[in-house]
Amino acid sequence: MKKYIIILLPLIFSLASCVDEDEYSDTPNGNFEALWHIIDEHYCFFSYKQQAYGLDWDEVYQRYSKQMNSGMTEDQEFEVLGNMLSELRDGHVNMYSSFNVARNWSWHENYPSNYSDTLQNKYLGTSYKIATGMKYRTLDDNIGYIRYASFENGIGSGNMDDILSYLSACNGLIIDIRNNTGGLITSAEELAARFTNKEILVGYIQHKTGNGHDDFSSYEEQRLKPSSGLRWQKNVIVLTNRSVFSAANEFVKYMKCCPNVKIVGDKTGGGAGLPFSSELPNGWSIRFSACPMYDKNKVSTEFGIEPDYNVQLSQDDFLKGKDTIIEFARQLLAK
Amino acid sequence: MVGIGLTNMLDTYISAEKYRGTELRYISHTTRRNPNSPWSRQLIYQGDVTYTHNRADNGNEMAGMLNFSYGKHYNWQMLDGKLDMKAGALADLNLGFIYNTRNSNNPGQMKAYFNITPSVEAAYHFNVKRTKLILGYELDVPLAGIMFSPNYGQSYYEIFSRGNYDHNIVPTTFISAPSMRQMLSLDVAIGKSMLRIGYLGDYQQADVNNLKSHIYTHALIIGVVKKFSIKNIRP
Repeated sequence: MKKYIIILLPLIFSLASCVDEDEYSDTPNGNFEALWHIIDEHYCFFSYKQQAYGLDWDEVYQRYSKQMNSGMTEDQEFEVLGNMLSELRDGHVNMYSSFNVARNWSWHENYPSNYSDTLQNKYLGTSYKIATGMKYRTLDDNIGYIRYASFENGIGSGNMDDILSYLSACNGLIIDIRNNTGGLITSAEELAARFTNKEILVGYIQHKTGNGHDDFSSYEEQRLKPSSGLRWQKNVIVLTNRSVFSAANEFVKYMKCCPNVKIVGDKTGGGAGLPFSSELPNGWSIRFSACPMYDKNKVSTEFGIEPDYNVQLSQDDFLKGKDTIIEFARQLLAK
Repeated sequence: MVGIGLTNMLDTYISAEKYRGTELRYISHTTRRNPNSPWSRQLIYQGDVTYTHNRADNGNEMAGMLNFSYGKHYNWQMLDGKLDMKAGALADLNLGFIYNTRNSNNPGQMKAYFNITPSVEAAYHFNVKRTKLILGYELDVPLAGIMFSPNYGQSYYEIFSRGNYDHNIVPTTFISAPSMRQMLSLDVAIGKSMLRIGYLGDYQQADVNNLKSHIYTHALIIGVVKKFSIKNIRP
């Protein structure tokens, strides 16, 4: 046996090799190459966006590589690289330096906000309750109102039971997630699970299996399981605007599949790619969409979800101290 | 034995950049042999913690690894008993993690792999003046095994929250995961014990699911070697 092992080890050595990755230089051109390749190999919406608005990442390389030179300042380098990332039109794509964050927020900046703090304060008043990040109260017409501004934190199961129990005498429920830009996808699932009594198909998810633009896994079902806690059985309206993004966008996708639920407000902002991170040689951190998610019809929700009732805040109502979207939801629940 | 060394880490699931830093390691290395048998059994467990930084020194990765190895060696002697030789194989289990302090949905990587690892050892006995010395060398090279790995762009959310598995248990060979541990040591007799100082080279590599990873460590080790004998005691 000993001779076999002594022969085997040099044989293994001769066939083995280093597993390594070439590092780009920490220069403007090196950072450009690193960024372009990170996105080229990992970003998940190239084909979708090529169809949607003609995105051609190779053409982007040609156009932006000409703008790079070794004498450019850090600010100039950041601007060119940030502009290149903007071509992706993706709120999940960012570049972080110590002095700025590159972003494309056109998904909400190009649209009316359809949300007013002033109006919301009028509806919430001062005696509202707070639990697990949600502000809630009963409105004058016996409609329950929950204001949920972020999915950043986990939702406590006991807290949610308490909230729904408190609002259980209400005739209907409004969940206002306008300006909710996301957070934990598991929190979105936890909340939506309160509005279905059976397991339902709510969408699909994929991930990349290689560095080709179309190297994807098969579609995996996203199934929403009913919560084992208190579940809401009456009508529900979810209020949305263009700033509903990422995990909040997913929540809307889930709620659209639940019974007794309607979506009211503006189209959501989208953000249907689970973001991953990487970095450049100079240390700037990069975030990008890595895993595409789809609705139950395998349609991407990257550019948002249409509401059941598209309602915009009106200036007249604003001057009267009324939130057009909340008022529309109250009327809908009163029917 | 304890060791301190320099580490170079790459894991393309987490970052395209390599991280470099310091590792601290503890190693327990036990050999059992019946004097009447050419076979010996070996049990190794070792743990290390590593703290590293990127090239720009504005990001950090932490890593921790546990390694358990158990195996058998065939023993023989050469050079009139001055050179002890061993050849055998180890069952080699490794568990650990790498954590990047600033990533989003790919903040870290779970490390779990098992290998069948051919192993050779040599120990040359000599004296300097009246001091007994042993110059040793040990080499372990994994031949084949299995490894946990997410797929190329698969999130841990998908694996553990949704239960979507996609080639997450991957067979490995010395081609896809060419790795090696080697130790060069000098044992110096001090009383009834021996002081061991040496060099440990640990090179763990993998290229699976289109993800590349390596952890290279060069460490200085120091420890104590003791020999115990169990004898039959007759009343």
